[in-house]
Amino acid sequence: MTAAPFDPAATAADVIIVGSGAAGGMAAYSLTKAGLHCLMLEAGRDYDPQAEVNMFAPESDAPLRGASTPDKPFGYFDATVGGGWEVDGEPYTMREGTNFRWYRSRMLGGRTNHWGRHVPRWGPYDFKPFSRDGLGVDWPIGYDDVAPFYDRVERMIGVNGGRIELENHPDSPPSCLMPPPKPRVPEMLLKATCESMGIPVRTAHTAVITRDMPDKVAPRSACFNATPCTRGCTIGAMFQTTTSFLPMAKATGNLTIVTDAMVSRVTMAGAGRAAGVEYVDRKTGARHQVNARAVILAAGTCETTRLLLNSGDGPAGLANASGQLGRNLTDSTGASFRAYVPALADRPRYNEDGIGGQHVYIPFWLYEEQKRGELDFARGYHFEIGGRFGIPPAAALPRVWGAGLKKAVRTASGATIGMTLRGEMIPNKDTYCEIDPGVRDRFGIPVLRFAFRWSQHELNQVAHGRRTAHAVFKRMNATILDPELPPEKLITAGGEIIHELGSARMGADARSSVVDSYGQTWDVTNLVLMDGAIFASGAHKNPTLTILALALRASERLAARFKSGAFA
Amino acid sequence: MTPSRRETLQWMMAAAALPLARWTPPAMAAGHPPPFTVVVDWPAALPPPPPAQGYGRDPDLMAPKVTWPLILSKAQRATVDLLGDLILPADERSPGAGTLGVGAFVDEWISAPYPTQRKDREQVLGGLIWLEAQSRALHGAAFAAITPAQRAGLLDALTVTAPVAMMAKPVAFMDTLRHLFVLGFYSLPEGKADMGFIGDQPTPGDYPGPSPEALTHFAAILAALGLAVS
Repeated sequence: MTAAPFDPAATAADVIIVGSGAAGGMAAYSLTKAGLHCLMLEAGRDYDPQAEVNMFAPESDAPLRGASTPDKPFGYFDATVGGGWEVDGEPYTMREGTNFRWYRSRMLGGRTNHWGRHVPRWGPYDFKPFSRDGLGVDWPIGYDDVAPFYDRVERMIGVNGGRIELENHPDSPPSCLMPPPKPRVPEMLLKATCESMGIPVRTAHTAVITRDMPDKVAPRSACFNATPCTRGCTIGAMFQTTTSFLPMAKATGNLTIVTDAMVSRVTMAGAGRAAGVEYVDRKTGARHQVNARAVILAAGTCETTRLLLNSGDGPAGLANASGQLGRNLTDSTGASFRAYVPALADRPRYNEDGIGGQHVYIPFWLYEEQKRGELDFARGYHFEIGGRFGIPPAAALPRVWGAGLKKAVRTASGATIGMTLRGEMIPNKDTYCEIDPGVRDRFGIPVLRFAFRWSQHELNQVAHGRRTAHAVFKRMNATILDPELPPEKLITAGGEIIHELGSARMGADARSSVVDSYGQTWDVTNLVLMDGAIFASGAHKNPTLTILALALRASERLAARFKSGAFA
Repeated sequence: MTPSRRETLQWMMAAAALPLARWTPPAMAAGHPPPFTVVVDWPAALPPPPPAQGYGRDPDLMAPKVTWPLILSKAQRATVDLLGDLILPADERSPGAGTLGVGAFVDEWISAPYPTQRKDREQVLGGLIWLEAQSRALHGAAFAAITPAQRAGLLDALTVTAPVAMMAKPVAFMDTLRHLFVLGFYSLPEGKADMGFIGDQPTPGDYPGPSPEALTHFAAILAALGLAVS
């Protein structure tokens, strides 16, 4: 995919895009369609899902039955290549007492090749959190500013789902969503149980298409209800930029992609104006400088921030007059709960594959109680739910051997249910990233050092989630399989949910924020940030749909500025 | 429980043959005591694993390959296969796990150079050594050579719900081995068929959802739990 009709050596690029994941892919798609010449730099290697995704191989074909290892943290066949929690020769460090995990892939398409695909819309409260509870900051834009872009992104990437009809969970207008799959029996049982307790269960919004999306260049086929999405999808049913935006953008003739291009810094043409970027060829170590009229950083929240901190003249980095660069870092909270449900034992078999992941989920439902001050935490959480036929977890099997063990496996297959909590974290002053003064990566680029701390809000939230999950399990007469742990031990490590956000936040003015609502840095007029770095806060909801919507909005604004001669 | 004269003699002979053997009066120990009074010590140390490489962060996913040498000796592998056929024995639905070759997977697992697998290596290798010594101490012969009833006695002692302290490590060994056999066996086509698993095949069109039979069963679940259809 690296050979290109448009040669940036012969024609200066209009825009350099750093990164090829959700934000970079959207920028490339939108800007090339608008007629702008784009040069995309991807730190990872070239990647072709058609040739490299082993969609149908059973796990028994993989070493260790495909189990998670430090080399392949999400299993052998997982799409992520050349990275994971660690990237060879590219370390990151931590302040003492910090446990932070940074997931990076080094491949074309970035983290869209493996992701959760749960794409809830953010609601009005999520953009104005300060106005609601006095914590954090408000965004300079509200739900109504983003809604039209949500509509378009849902149609562009292909999302299936249903109506939610709950406070702060906006529904999509008709024609945005494809029909969702039917729920499975464990999901139906959770729904019946939860609803008897006043907890809503709704159809999830998932970026897996259930209807064909024809296209001359990158046709995508409806999901055929088999194979794990995290391996990547050769038929394009799951959204990843490598089977959609990138080939579509290339077909315009306006996109050149250079892979193995590790961008080290933004270069300047003068005060307040970027010239381009410098990158290191990961294969040869050679340094290159490329120029363009505008630069987009879409390298992933922390990598984008690292680039800016490593650019400019002073130790504060580039575009950091506000001092906010690196601050306000958040991740989603995470905790998992599991139970063995005797009522589901030995249930009749049927094909329970469906589309990858959950068909229904539990949105946050306690906004009214929270507003009345009845909860001991601010902001929300949701549960992603699971339960399928398969090998039962060890905890659900009795300590027996022989005929009794075989019988126990058959009985317990499909009889366990999981509830996985994802919640909002409020930015705090003890959680940030900065440049480590003493450590460089193998390219000589200074690396990030993380500081991370959950506040009592997050710990109380997770404790509340456990009480809820266990109450649900008890209502269905299930045996809880979770070990007894305090919330500090129950909660995931920072970064582990891979929802890093906010380290170059947007705002209404240059004093308190790094970028405006279009991702344009206040200090450098032709430098635009498009990934999760620009979020003014998190939400309990997964961020990718909002990253895509904001990247589309920012790209169209950038194209309009080109049209109006701002970069002539 | 007072040991019979015969058991006492057996213990004295075994203890003489194996200086590591210890005896704790069952009545003084917390938990479920084993049906024998001789328990040999857990091996103090294992040989270090041979050098081995993982498959790396970017293996060829179209041609999966195990990149490390297997560490079990022929005799250990034979014992593991034998244990596989005891832990998950042949029945009318599927063959025994040992006969099916799941022992090879156990060997692959405990030979792998990753932290989880290295920990399991300690458990499984240590357990195999312990099992041999325990078998000799109790019955004067290798595990492979004792009678089915004697093997069953040992496995019963290794699968009690709450073992006494001196049996904690041997029981943890059997936990690990049992879970490896369950994973290895039920991820094979024969194991999936045994569980009645249906799936892993393209089903074009809308996902059909539960079968009528599954829905009927589900309605009964709701009724039993006193839940309304939602």
